[in-house]
Amino acid sequence: MRNRLREPVAIAGVGCTRFGNMLEAPELKGKSIQEIAAEAAREALDDAGISGQDVDAVYVGNAMVHSSQTPATQTQIAKWIGMQFKAGMHFEAQCSTTNVGAALAATAIAAGVYDRVLVIGVETTRTKVKGYSPYEREPLSAQQTWLWTDMAVNQAYAVPQGYDIFSTYNGLLALAYCRKYGVSIDDYERGMFELCRTRRFHGSLNPKANEQETLEQVAQRYGFADPWAFWQSPENPFCAWPTRVRSLVTTADGASAILLARVEDARAMKSQPVELKGFGICHSDLPWYTDDPTFWKFDKIATDNAFEMAGITARDIDYLHTHDCSHISGLCTAEMMGYLEPGKGLAAAREGRLRFDGDRPMSTHGGRHAFGHAWAASAGSDTYEAVLQMRGRAGKRQMPKPPEVSVIHTHGYAMVGTTIVLGAM
Amino acid sequence: MSEQAVLLQNMAAGSPAKFERTSVIERYYDALGKGRLLAHKCTRCGRYTFPPTTCCEHCGAWDYEAVTLSGRGKLLYASHGIAPPPHPRFAEIAPCVYGQVMLEEGVAVQAIVRGVEPTPAALRALFERGPVPVKATVIRTADLPVLGFEFA
Repeated sequence: MRNRLREPVAIAGVGCTRFGNMLEAPELKGKSIQEIAAEAAREALDDAGISGQDVDAVYVGNAMVHSSQTPATQTQIAKWIGMQFKAGMHFEAQCSTTNVGAALAATAIAAGVYDRVLVIGVETTRTKVKGYSPYEREPLSAQQTWLWTDMAVNQAYAVPQGYDIFSTYNGLLALAYCRKYGVSIDDYERGMFELCRTRRFHGSLNPKANEQETLEQVAQRYGFADPWAFWQSPENPFCAWPTRVRSLVTTADGASAILLARVEDARAMKSQPVELKGFGICHSDLPWYTDDPTFWKFDKIATDNAFEMAGITARDIDYLHTHDCSHISGLCTAEMMGYLEPGKGLAAAREGRLRFDGDRPMSTHGGRHAFGHAWAASAGSDTYEAVLQMRGRAGKRQMPKPPEVSVIHTHGYAMVGTTIVLGAM
Repeated sequence: MSEQAVLLQNMAAGSPAKFERTSVIERYYDALGKGRLLAHKCTRCGRYTFPPTTCCEHCGAWDYEAVTLSGRGKLLYASHGIAPPPHPRFAEIAPCVYGQVMLEEGVAVQAIVRGVEPTPAALRALFERGPVPVKATVIRTADLPVLGFEFA
């Protein structure tokens, strides 16, 4: 594997809808899946100042076709984004979809096949098609969402024999982390509380986030003056001891889009481009770990490849998002990368270092818990946030100094470890 | 001769009757129903693929021999899942304790653990004991035998 792009590739435009429930969120309510995909695409195209007809190919990601019921999605939305008679595909890498799409687009551009590629991710994990209606939707239960989502997990052996995301992705890691680093269960709890507080604080500063209440506001809504007392209460139950539900993903409907182009082409477009300096992709079937659940080999391989292609080390990272469907998993990945010191992630959360104004900023959009998770659209939402931060346009949550190098890591169920490196131009 | 070699020989002989083989997945569950943990041992690198697939998961070689694992190992960590569970097969027994086990053959396995309640107090006590010896057991669900572990 040569692990390099033959010519540099840039992100010329980004778009992202509000993440939320299409039956409730005012920005999504009453729209169809075609319309939310088009909204993200239009924002990315407008950002670059071009139209769909100026783009060579469109790669549309949608992971859970059970709820969207639109396979061959690129053909079904071509007329909604001005991309009739273009090349493209429907693809998925689960929750890494949009950033794997960016890597595929960069590969095609660097190979000289296409000059411009639009990547779209669209997903509905809160709602599904109602009956056979072309526009009506109905709520999707959490149980149904996970049953369908788990179809991306080992269907021969693991799922039929009781595989459970909450213990595998959360509880077992948490216990391994505590034992490995001598952290007490009580200190783990406090660290998770502080991390949730930070992520929800970020979400409260982001009008596109699924959850825009701070943890303090949620506690007050439940009648608790003290958020720590709320955290330990039955209103925040264990989903996989010692992990509680507010250390997890929140599900959402939403869409995101990324326009990629040759660097010189992107420089001539409307908005400040960002270079896609490197990427690494590495998958693994279960088990994701062996005797040390805090270490995931495929993430290490994906990250090493991305850093090598980009020519960076951990010291160069100014802004980091790691996949945080599970807050403890996100910290383990950040420690593996060298952004946080091994065993010190919980302390960093408690000290406020992971806030947008801290010295180790992470997931300033709110991450999977506060920004929310719309499977195939989520990696694009992470990239969207990084580009906003690098342009100095992240509003109230803008980092004091716009990052020069951003790293985004995602886990596509189950698992597609994906790391991309963005650099200022 | 490995099962794969037998299959290839049968294919070469053009014997349709011998093609009527069951999926390796079905053979795994059939063995499990009889209390055996079916694995494949690579004839090239000697490592185990468990549960079994069509090749060695470590080196990619296609030849293997079917072997039975001991089912003995150590439970490293145990947490629990949610109720109601995503999969209806486990509706009656959820929430289940779910654990990380290292078998004595060096294979990592995740499975339901019996003999401990899915409560914070019970799981904390188990965690504080450290790694605990366990042995495989079979959980009988309505439609499928399922691998579980119990304390040895």
